[in-house]
Amino acid sequence: MKRKRRDSGLAALMLVPSGVILLLFVVYPLIKAVWLGQQRCGVTKCTNNGFDQYLDAFRSNEFQDALIVTAKYALITVPIGLVLGVALAVLADKYMRGVGIFRTIFSSTVATSVAVASVMWFFLLNPNVGVLSEWIGGIAKTPGLLQDPRSALWAVSASSIWANLGFTFIVVTAGLQGVPKDLYESAYVDGAGGFSRFTNVTLPMISPTLLFATVVLTTRAFQSFGEVDLLTEGGPLGKTTTLTYLAYGSGLPTSNDDGLRATVSVLLFAVLLALALVQFRGLEKRVHYGN
Amino acid sequence: MSRRVVVCMVVVGGVFAASCRSGQSLTNAGIDRAPTPVTASTVPGQTTVPPTTLPRKLDSLPPCDVAALDTAAATAPVEITFWHGLSNELGRELERLTGVYNASQNKVKVTLQFQGGYEETIDKYLQSNTDSRPDMVQMPEYMVQQMIDTKSIVPTQACAESAKYDTSAFLPQALGAYATEGVQWSMPFNMSVPVLYYLKPRFTAAGLDPEVSPRSLEELLATSKQLVSSGASAYSLALDSDFDGGGGWYIEQWLAKSGEFYADNENGRAAPATHVLYDGAGGVKLLTALQSMVTEGGAVYVGDNASGQDTFLKLADATKPAAMTIGTSAALGPVLAIVRGGIIPGVLESEVGVGPMPGPNDGKGALVGGASLYIVDGKGGAKAAASWDYMAFLESASSQSQWAAATGYIPVRNDALTLDPIKSLYVTDPRFKVAYDQLTSSLPGPTSQGPVIGPHKAVRRVTALAVAEVLSGGDVQTALTKAAQAANDLITNYNAQNK
Amino acid sequence: MAIDQVYGARKVGRYLLLTFMAFVVIFPIYMMVVGALKPGNKVLVNPLLPTDFTTGTLTEAWRTGHLGRALWNSAYVSVLITLAQVVTSILAAYAFAFLRFPGKTFVFVAFLATLLVPLEATLTVNRRTMQSLSWINSYKALTIPFLATAFGIFMIRQVFLTIPKEMHEAASMDGLGRLGFLWQVAVPLSRPTIGALTLFSFLTSWNQYLWPTLVTTNQKFNTVQTGLKTLKLAAIDKPNLVIAGTVIVALPIFVVLIAFQRQLIRGLTAGAVKG
Repeated sequence: MKRKRRDSGLAALMLVPSGVILLLFVVYPLIKAVWLGQQRCGVTKCTNNGFDQYLDAFRSNEFQDALIVTAKYALITVPIGLVLGVALAVLADKYMRGVGIFRTIFSSTVATSVAVASVMWFFLLNPNVGVLSEWIGGIAKTPGLLQDPRSALWAVSASSIWANLGFTFIVVTAGLQGVPKDLYESAYVDGAGGFSRFTNVTLPMISPTLLFATVVLTTRAFQSFGEVDLLTEGGPLGKTTTLTYLAYGSGLPTSNDDGLRATVSVLLFAVLLALALVQFRGLEKRVHYGN
Repeated sequence: MSRRVVVCMVVVGGVFAASCRSGQSLTNAGIDRAPTPVTASTVPGQTTVPPTTLPRKLDSLPPCDVAALDTAAATAPVEITFWHGLSNELGRELERLTGVYNASQNKVKVTLQFQGGYEETIDKYLQSNTDSRPDMVQMPEYMVQQMIDTKSIVPTQACAESAKYDTSAFLPQALGAYATEGVQWSMPFNMSVPVLYYLKPRFTAAGLDPEVSPRSLEELLATSKQLVSSGASAYSLALDSDFDGGGGWYIEQWLAKSGEFYADNENGRAAPATHVLYDGAGGVKLLTALQSMVTEGGAVYVGDNASGQDTFLKLADATKPAAMTIGTSAALGPVLAIVRGGIIPGVLESEVGVGPMPGPNDGKGALVGGASLYIVDGKGGAKAAASWDYMAFLESASSQSQWAAATGYIPVRNDALTLDPIKSLYVTDPRFKVAYDQLTSSLPGPTSQGPVIGPHKAVRRVTALAVAEVLSGGDVQTALTKAAQAANDLITNYNAQNK
Repeated sequence: MAIDQVYGARKVGRYLLLTFMAFVVIFPIYMMVVGALKPGNKVLVNPLLPTDFTTGTLTEAWRTGHLGRALWNSAYVSVLITLAQVVTSILAAYAFAFLRFPGKTFVFVAFLATLLVPLEATLTVNRRTMQSLSWINSYKALTIPFLATAFGIFMIRQVFLTIPKEMHEAASMDGLGRLGFLWQVAVPLSRPTIGALTLFSFLTSWNQYLWPTLVTTNQKFNTVQTGLKTLKLAAIDKPNLVIAGTVIVALPIFVVLIAFQRQLIRGLTAGAVKG
């Protein structure tokens, strides 16, 4: 009994530092944001509006547009990023001379922050400076790929896929190294070809890794802010205004209204939560955790 | 109904999003409003609240005592921070001028804080409290009412009166733009107006006099037809619907040229505006004329001009170029520099023509665009006085002459024109003077001071959507009615939140 | 091991493919480095080749972007956050892994639940808090909200759980004591995981973008990320200057990551481990 009391005291002491921080800067602001989200703020004060503000905001044109943009953005970046990451990892997985150099190169984009990657791509895609837009769009295509409403989201996606490639490559490579070699050998003995070995052995064995990468990449897509801020500022015509940018970008209905900002960011939280549920429910069934 | 909404909230995904859409703007979220009884009217001089002059509003606002600077500076220089949104060459010229000021005296030391642009400056300023605000801030012209409503500024008039500052040399349009309800809130600094840019060789090829630019909208249409039918140019005029350009700012300009108000209460200057007036007969006539530029005059609509360069680049289009466009006078320097680089084959820098923006009243008159300088309240009398001292330096004839010559902005005062470098520039290249002449030829009277509206930028954005619709062939009255309704909602919301 | 080896034509094909992909991936980086080494007005001339080699653009970017200050701020803020996160995580993980106290499961789940809250949902209120504390433009605002992380607590608790309970019992019996056990036994045994957390925390705080833009208005407090944004907005008419700034900002983190590759891989894959 005495022993237990001492444990409690010590435990409290050790939990206090992180507990206080998490309470003050995660739990409290979340609760406060839910309250703030039913207010509208003018330049000097905020007024209560009732919780139907969440519904109104959710159903508003801007939010729905941003939701679609974000969904599109995730549907572009996640599958392409994943396929590229897996392809590179499988290519570089074989025991070959000099494969280390390739691994370093493919991992390298993990070292670029979102600001670095976005500024790089801003210039690559800039019709006045970048060579890339010249190659893709003909001679100095105007408007540039980032300014053309039809291509802007794809251009932002390209930057983001590139920037996330290092992460996906590293994660998948680690997953591949966990696949027992004898599984390949027995498949080989059974006469399975390269492709069949990939679909029947590799993919199921790395499926937990793929689930993890999918969840991380999707979350990143839904939380993307820096690339939009630096590449397009949400334009043209709002075609790249993602949910996070709608909440925190410049020159938007939310920009000078903390109430509306809170509304949108709480809704973003709800969307992310729903998404996480769907992903785990839907994908976990198909994930093979091995034994 | 509510169950369907709940289902919507649960089934999250872009595919299903459409079924949840309410068709409302996010700006209306949470606001329950009785329909605003608004009757549009464009009768000049219409006011809901008669302007009052007594007692002076200024006396109820934060005071300014310029003598506080000498007292405070006796011990150490007063340090002030100045937030601005000027990038590239503009920012560098401001840095240079500020360096000159800092070196010229030892009472005040100014630190410039570039905030990333106008939008960022606005956001950061409005989000901050007295503590984190600067001592002085630059804000674009559409921010007047919102700055007043922050109740965070010392009107520059208070400082000017304390300093017995002589404003007689200033352009009345320049000062008037930043005065409402009888108070001078801020001082004009960088001023620009829209002007017509055209390519002289294409005028010559069409049999037009390259030295004469169209003045009225009728002349503009005739010139346009001539340019296209003669085969001199694939398109005549490049038009846009940028909120800070063809979609918003120019509409205000055209209404002012025709002597009409854009918003009630004398454009919001006698008392805060409550609704817009552009959906009346004057606005319909104007937008119809604009639409006919596209339908009959061979004009091309380039979209919302997100890059800010699309209209100009249309002049340089390799396959189907235009011959004219309307753009801010502040772009003249950069445009000439780019043309000098040979971006338009067969057009020399000297062959870019500049004329007043065509419109009613033969194109005469303009509303001030650009930005002005505000002094922030609550930082102490010495800081306000120091900010005024620095501001007076930036406003001086000599600074304005250098500033205008380096950037292409219009000097805020007449006597700047008697000093070099702007004096010689206006002689050697009269194109730089077109904006100045256009501004100073404005109609007398309150319609020549632009609208002041709380949510001015947001109103411009919804107006721009209507312009986009009209330029793409939509019905003018429908588009304007819809835009005016949205704008009035914005104003009502804003006024309710900032009572 | 026969199937791991690749022979003949297929081997050549694979190398060609790898080389091609390597070029694609490295191309943007190459372009930046070349651009950064060109003089002011030559960025459009031979963009693919490093002609007119100069380091002048780099030094000008360093000066006009105040990048030295920004690098210092980023390093200071990231190191502080990383140290604090590692320490607070170790302490909390110890309580969850080795101590018995009432409501432990509930408290643990509550801690863990904070992982579900995205940063974006809390930033507005946190910024208002910073404002009311007058912490705008301060290192306090840049660091204090991030001194603890449930992710780190969870990660270290997982590895602490693999340490046999008996070792803990024995240690608290003999003279070592509980804290002695924590710092002299548990922490050294968990070094790889702590290393991974260190790198992960460092990288996350180094890459913060949105929060610093919300709580700073003074360029003195620019981190490299916000400094780069400022440089891009202020000097977009001088692309090579901004490009040079990008290179300067990217370089230190490249060096760090090459030095700590193993920890990085562990840190990034931590979530993928079956748990």
